[in-house]
Amino acid sequence: MMPRHHSSGFSNGYPRADTFEISPHRFQPRATLPPHRKRKRTAIRIGIVVAIIVLLIFWFGQPKSVASLISLGILSGYEDLKLETVRYYDLTNVQGTARGWEREERILLCVPLRDAEQHLPMFFSHLKNFTYPHNLIDLAFLVSDSKDRTLQVLSENLEAIQADADPKQPYGEISIIEKDFGQKVNQDVESRHGFAAQASRRKLMAQARNWLLSAALRPYHSWVYWRDVDVETAPFTILEDLMRHNKDVIVPNVWRPLPDWLGGEQPYDLNSWQESETALALADTLDEDAVIVEGYAEYATWRPHLAYLRDPYGDPDMEMEIDGVGGVSILAKAKVFRSGVHFPAFSFEKHAETEGFGKMAKRMRFSVVGLPHYTIWHLYEPSVDDIKHMEEMERERIAREKEEEERKIKEQQIKEEFGDANSQWEQDKQQMQDLKLQDQGSNKEAGLNQGAAAKAAGAIDGQKEN
Amino acid sequence: MARPMGSVRLKKANSSTLLLGAVLCIFIIIFLVSPSSPASAGRLSNIVSAQHHLSPPTSPYKSSRSGVQGPPPVTRYDLNKVTVTADPVKNQEHILILTPMARFYQQYWDNLLRLSYPHELITLGFILPKTKEGNQATAALQQQIQKIQNHGAEKDRFKSIIILRQDFDPAVVSQDESERHKLGNQKARREVMAKARNSLLFTTLGPSTSWVLWLDADIVETPPTLIQDLASHDKPVIVANCYQKYYDPETKKMAERPYDFNSWQDSETALKMAEQMGPDDILLEGYAELATYRTLMAYMSNPGSPKDLAIPLDGVGSTALLVKADVHRDGAMFPAFSFYHLIESEGFAKMAKRLGWQPYGLPNYKVYHYNE
Repeated sequence: MMPRHHSSGFSNGYPRADTFEISPHRFQPRATLPPHRKRKRTAIRIGIVVAIIVLLIFWFGQPKSVASLISLGILSGYEDLKLETVRYYDLTNVQGTARGWEREERILLCVPLRDAEQHLPMFFSHLKNFTYPHNLIDLAFLVSDSKDRTLQVLSENLEAIQADADPKQPYGEISIIEKDFGQKVNQDVESRHGFAAQASRRKLMAQARNWLLSAALRPYHSWVYWRDVDVETAPFTILEDLMRHNKDVIVPNVWRPLPDWLGGEQPYDLNSWQESETALALADTLDEDAVIVEGYAEYATWRPHLAYLRDPYGDPDMEMEIDGVGGVSILAKAKVFRSGVHFPAFSFEKHAETEGFGKMAKRMRFSVVGLPHYTIWHLYEPSVDDIKHMEEMERERIAREKEEEERKIKEQQIKEEFGDANSQWEQDKQQMQDLKLQDQGSNKEAGLNQGAAAKAAGAIDGQKEN
Repeated sequence: MARPMGSVRLKKANSSTLLLGAVLCIFIIIFLVSPSSPASAGRLSNIVSAQHHLSPPTSPYKSSRSGVQGPPPVTRYDLNKVTVTADPVKNQEHILILTPMARFYQQYWDNLLRLSYPHELITLGFILPKTKEGNQATAALQQQIQKIQNHGAEKDRFKSIIILRQDFDPAVVSQDESERHKLGNQKARREVMAKARNSLLFTTLGPSTSWVLWLDADIVETPPTLIQDLASHDKPVIVANCYQKYYDPETKKMAERPYDFNSWQDSETALKMAEQMGPDDILLEGYAELATYRTLMAYMSNPGSPKDLAIPLDGVGSTALLVKADVHRDGAMFPAFSFYHLIESEGFAKMAKRLGWQPYGLPNYKVYHYNE
């Protein structure tokens, strides 16, 4: 620092050469750069150095920390500190109420899938249409033992939904869970619904459902909705409709449309039923690991089935207490699953999977209800018998058409071959008629002659009497 | 010569000074940057941390400060790749330690911190009742959690911690030992306990857990290698022998006595008794009124026999119980109703067996219960 009061200069810093010099500011060649340019140059130098340092640090790869340094930790520097490791949930807030959408209650929608690629487009069209707020629905899929492109098609569709421009479309948490159970069970309708395969098939299905639920249920869920991928028609408001009843477990009636020759429609899900004395007695006689399955002649249980009680014009809000439930579309309060009710993959009171679930929920004194007149429609997949029958019908139809065709051709041929014969016939007919007329004419003459003869004879007789 | 002040100062700043300044700057910046990077971004960030709060609570998530988040991503979890092996440390297997808690014991927490299993693979789950006592315990627990997760050493911090408050009332208001263990109170008490365990289990299990360790809140002393030791047996369900240390006035020394009687092998007598019971009645162990003559693991401890002796069991206690997550995923839970006349953890053992998983016990491997 320069001394403020220079002994040999002015206070403004100019040297005091000669006090009486008229022009102290003599012309002088510039020895140094003017201050403003000097400052500029220094600024450039500092800038270069800083740039090099920043580049160096970026080069060694800690961009986040540098960003935090430069922005003084305002923008992103807090990131590491905000790693949330502790979460607190009060389960009394997620009990599930009749008007869940108003209280922003979250639903977990569970869908078990296996080789279901062909059904996915239909399923996603349903998904788009749900009226329950999508951001309150978490989706969980279990893809097991699939040999087709189920997984790829599923993720592509889900990515598309989450990226949808419409802010009402994207869903909440979406988990796709892959787990192979090494299932040998075939998925075609015949082997799926054959009696012998039922018990082990149901146990495997139960296992899949449990794996899905245990991996996807969170402390913030109030409801759990199970939906099969092959539902063809269901009301868009189904979640609200079922929720409004405020029951612990609730299922709609499930039917399926049929081709006309099979009667047009048919009850589909026979797993929703009320317990009967016969079935209880039957259960007592069975082995510990046996599983009673509905809809097979082998076990005549005489249970009232939800499906058979449907009246197309009945009150859709009518409720019916049931003991076994079908898995096509189940809405349950999450607290049911939290308290331990699950899909038994063993024989629980002689039932497995969804029917066992209903039984277990009942056992824990939860309300289990079915809606006989509120119907959703399952996809119609023709069974092997149906396909055979349809093939037969098709064959018959073709045979009939062929027959028709042949007959027509024959007629044509006959026409062609005997076309002249017809006119000949006409001619002959005409001639015959003419002949007949002629005949009639001569007959008349003959009659007249006869009359005249009779008269003549009478005259002769009269003459004789006279 | 005209020498304005600025030029005077800058004239001294030659290239060597600038270089020195630059080096100093680099040094300072590196010093500022380096300590934060390996520590906070380190161990926990190695674990998958989610980006959205709607994610499995068994993993931490990075919360964005802006508050507004887009829709959550589509996440794929391959459960075929979740291994459950005898060497969980080597295979980096995630473990869930679940504790239903009515009272907070500092010794329990200290013992938990001493566990040598890598903490970044451990998720803790607690469920507490919504009572006055439960509130106190929650406060105490949260205080300790704060201490360890925010200010503790990096290696002590757990992967994530979940605290649940249960949505039903405890059966018995008093948690006193004498009241708690009365036979008449047992069924209701264990029903509620079973529901609490299931609530805790099914909401926290998540897609990445390999093992579930049930550790009761009143277990105050275990070997630090508890998890590794139990897992090394590679059994689907395995339980340690629960003892209690007490002061013996006769010998004037600390002694130990068996505490948990829920681990047993079934007996003919017990099966016959069960047959004669009503559908909702349950058999309980450790009460003179119900003499079952079951073989109790609590009395099978023998200092002479090897420590890693494992015996098959028909009923298990849940004081220190290691379960492969697959068993729970298959549906094995703690029945809150009479299941083959068994309830809670004993019913769990039965259900696991029904699903084809055999439970085992280690009679010579001891953990210690709190003594009031």
